[in-house]
Amino acid sequence: MSAVIDKVADIALRHRSGRWWSAFAVAGALLLLLVGATGWLFYRGVGVWGIDWPVSWGFAIINYVWWIGIASGGTFISALFFLMETDWRTSVSRIAETMTVFAAACAGIFPILHLGRPWLFYWLFPARNTMTLWPQFRSPLLWDFFAVLAYVTASILFWYFGAIPDLAALRDRASSRRRQIAYGIFALGFRGSDTQWRHYRAVYGTFAAIMAPLVVSVHSIVGLDFAGASTVGWHSTEFPPFFVFGALLSGLAMVLLLLLPLRWMLKLDELITPRHFDVLSRLLLMSSLLVGYAYVMDVFSVYYSGDPAELAVFHTKLHGAYAPVYWATIVFNLLLPQLLWSARLRVNPFLIAIVSVGVIYGMWCERYSIVVLSLRRSDLVSAWGNYHGTLWDYALLFGSIGLFSVGLLLAVRYVPVVSMADVREASEAP
Amino acid sequence: MTGILAQFDSQDGLLRALSRLRAQHMPAQTYTPVPLPDSTGGSPLPLIVLAAGVLGAAAGFGMQVYAVMVAYPQDIGGRPAFSWPSFVPIAFEVGALCAVLTAFFSFLLVNRLPKLYDPIDECLGMRQALRDGWIIAVRTEDSDLRERAREIFLELQARRIEDIPS
Repeated sequence: MSAVIDKVADIALRHRSGRWWSAFAVAGALLLLLVGATGWLFYRGVGVWGIDWPVSWGFAIINYVWWIGIASGGTFISALFFLMETDWRTSVSRIAETMTVFAAACAGIFPILHLGRPWLFYWLFPARNTMTLWPQFRSPLLWDFFAVLAYVTASILFWYFGAIPDLAALRDRASSRRRQIAYGIFALGFRGSDTQWRHYRAVYGTFAAIMAPLVVSVHSIVGLDFAGASTVGWHSTEFPPFFVFGALLSGLAMVLLLLLPLRWMLKLDELITPRHFDVLSRLLLMSSLLVGYAYVMDVFSVYYSGDPAELAVFHTKLHGAYAPVYWATIVFNLLLPQLLWSARLRVNPFLIAIVSVGVIYGMWCERYSIVVLSLRRSDLVSAWGNYHGTLWDYALLFGSIGLFSVGLLLAVRYVPVVSMADVREASEAP
Repeated sequence: MTGILAQFDSQDGLLRALSRLRAQHMPAQTYTPVPLPDSTGGSPLPLIVLAAGVLGAAAGFGMQVYAVMVAYPQDIGGRPAFSWPSFVPIAFEVGALCAVLTAFFSFLLVNRLPKLYDPIDECLGMRQALRDGWIIAVRTEDSDLRERAREIFLELQARRIEDIPS
């Protein structure tokens, strides 16, 4: 077992891979695109985007909901399955948590970019001001700010706390003075003494117990952002669980999609085995069925209410100008994952890649369908309008993928990609 | 010298030495790659975290009640000012935030971390502590205690025995 652990440590300490550098070059270029697009946005204002009345929520909100949904995958895997004491979690939890941290970071920037006057974002805090004003505590949009603040902070701390024993192991193993100092500072003086371990295990379990309900609350509140408005197609009690299901689906798809190249790039075949792909694919299939249930209930509530505006919006989804977006949602989120019923296909890397890319794309379409298709057809016919993203909308979308990838690549380069302490503990267990 | 340190090849070897030292009431400290089987439980931190979470949620709830009922009350069509269900999500999130911050910082506090340097780091055995070294240290200024510990370590065939410098 020491050999496997040394290999993981050496990825962080000695890894010099052409594969890593070529991936980093692409990701870095996309990150520059994000920086450029953000600079132009701050200089010119939100007019560079496609948003206007009546569709005043566009790519920024779609991307925010998309990224925060993707972020959930790591929390579900590392917190929920820690509490359920599953053994397969060990080799994939670090990668999944790292994904969560950077996906949550991407999610966090979009509401601020969306503000129009982003330098006033601190008005969301209950900060003292000369007008003695308070934020609107009854608005789900403010709940969302608190939820994302708590979630991003907790995700970063959970990830870092989980990595402390591994950072300490790297400090002890590093041969260069610079690495010893750098890892030493981040390890905070963790030495594996019995008191440190005793408190460590207790606190780690507590973290997991907080993270599991926290991630459910975050996605419920994202659902309430929509359900709280009296907009056609949004005002539904179904939204909070619907958004939790959607988050789970896209989060698991992104974990699967990342495991494939990382396993190849860092040569982790011993640790990430077909069993992991099998388990995660089953979970993906299950969450796809949950999302399917939500879609069915969505259709049911439209017809059961019989509200003319609800019916009109739903019919434009089915066969209006944007019908392909709706049908892409059904095909990619509901029909494509059904291939995973086959045990042979669940461990086929090529098929897993197709299904997970399909689901990630399908979930983006779902949010596009929710945001845009409802806003462009309100119950007031004179207020109907249209929407399409501009070049700068797409630049920010792809730029955020660059931010995500750069963060992820740096993290897998400098922090052990598999929790060495957990692997060791699993091997010591009787 | 401020103590003596021994490295064992296995958890069993370390546990044997530990029980021998404990039988003689010597102050033994272990440094191991994984928690020892008998070291689980017995931490007050989860309760402290729970208390911080509950207090944080209460404070978050109180802040909202204060803001809408005392600091800036508004009559919105005669609706009740104390609309408590709408205060629950933020109360929960503030509670969770307080709990995770308390979890992290109370862990540092009880272990007196960050502690980037300790004289025991001078021992070569500590470089293996989180890999596959099973380290046991008797940290004492008393040279008689150190000699008795050294005898036990020699008898149990420790892989390495080192003095901890001051």
